[in-house]
Amino acid sequence: MSDPTDKNSKKNVIVFSLILSVICSLLITVSAVGLKDFQDANMKLDKRINILKAVNLITENKPGKTQINNLYEQHIKEVVVDRHGEILDTPASDSLQLYFYQEKEQIKGYIIPINTQGLWGKIQGYLAFETDGQTVLGFSVFSHSETPGLGGEIESAWFTKNFEGKKILNSQDKFVSVGVAKGKVSNLPEDKRAHFVDGISGATLTGNYLSEGIEKTLIKYDKISVSFRQKQLKPKNMNTKAKP
Amino acid sequence: MSQENTNYLEIVTKGIWKENPVAYQVLGICSALAVTVKMSTAIVMGIALTLVTAFSGLLISSLRKRIPSNIRIIAELAIIASMVIVIDQVLKAFFYDISKQLSIFVGLIITNCIVLGRAEAFALANKPLASFFDGIGNGLGYSLVLVSVAFLRELLGSGKFFGFTIIPQAAYDIGYQNMGLMVLAPGAFFIIGLLVWLKNSLPGISKEER
Repeated sequence: MSDPTDKNSKKNVIVFSLILSVICSLLITVSAVGLKDFQDANMKLDKRINILKAVNLITENKPGKTQINNLYEQHIKEVVVDRHGEILDTPASDSLQLYFYQEKEQIKGYIIPINTQGLWGKIQGYLAFETDGQTVLGFSVFSHSETPGLGGEIESAWFTKNFEGKKILNSQDKFVSVGVAKGKVSNLPEDKRAHFVDGISGATLTGNYLSEGIEKTLIKYDKISVSFRQKQLKPKNMNTKAKP
Repeated sequence: MSQENTNYLEIVTKGIWKENPVAYQVLGICSALAVTVKMSTAIVMGIALTLVTAFSGLLISSLRKRIPSNIRIIAELAIIASMVIVIDQVLKAFFYDISKQLSIFVGLIITNCIVLGRAEAFALANKPLASFFDGIGNGLGYSLVLVSVAFLRELLGSGKFFGFTIIPQAAYDIGYQNMGLMVLAPGAFFIIGLLVWLKNSLPGISKEER
């Protein structure tokens, strides 16, 4: 046993804490920086998986890496649009990221990235729409930090599947967004059921944040949905303007 | 040698049953409330925490003669937190799918009172290997409680077991309903409370032994 008074001397406290903090920060920095490339590659693949999930090209069983990349390159086209729904050649400061879902050069839908605040951290996901500009094709969550088993359920299939076929317009063609209900959708009045998905018990706040985030994002992308509704974006894109 | 082995076994079983971290030491309640809605999350959390308590015990115990006692809690926290973050980073790079499931638990593990509690109560006063086994025992004890609470909550709250529905539709048809309370945090409180009561009224532990 070393001398305890020596261990607790002021000098030793300072030296120990200095050494400890240097070692700990070095370890974390080295692992974070050194492994970044691997992590980024994984993240990129995972993003692709979730984009494909949003348009239902991938279901629960995940295909291999090359197959994912093939599917992605075949069906997804990344574009940048401005707030008025024009496709841009080069990204500008206020431009928006958008993905087209295409089947044999024909656009089948579009995918909007959702990036919003959750209860404990950011929720990132993808919301895909059909070409009518109002029907949800699918939804997927790419990353979140909600409580496992409660808010964390937003990434599970039973929850995301419920978004399919929901409308963001009401019967008067007014924008109402889609949201997470408090409780079951079947308890809502008839005219609201097309705009809500079943909530998660014990995760009301996560649901509220997600609804709010989806609505805000959809308002930002409103012009794009509008041009899809008016069938304008399709021919324009089909001609020339592709992403460089 | 066999003498030492039995000692380690005793340390492990002590953590699992006699001094169970949740039921006896009442540590780690916060995360026990959060992750026990479903069996699958409870098991993942149990395994992850067992590994972390074991290795943080090992590390802190081997440094115990050097850690100045007036900054020991900060030092313990720094060591535990760095260890968990580094493991998380490695998982993210090489086992992305596992890390996606686990990353979310990282915050819960670092702040879990069992990890710090065992470092304080055991690792600082015992040899590294003993602390390692103490961590395993306590981790397993915690997992045991988690899994039993999750079993009851998933069964009563959603009528499922590991995600498979086991309460037949016929039962719902004649009026059986899932207990909504079980899905919420208070449900876990009731079950943990009942478990603590049950455990302390069983033989193997009594007030005198404390």
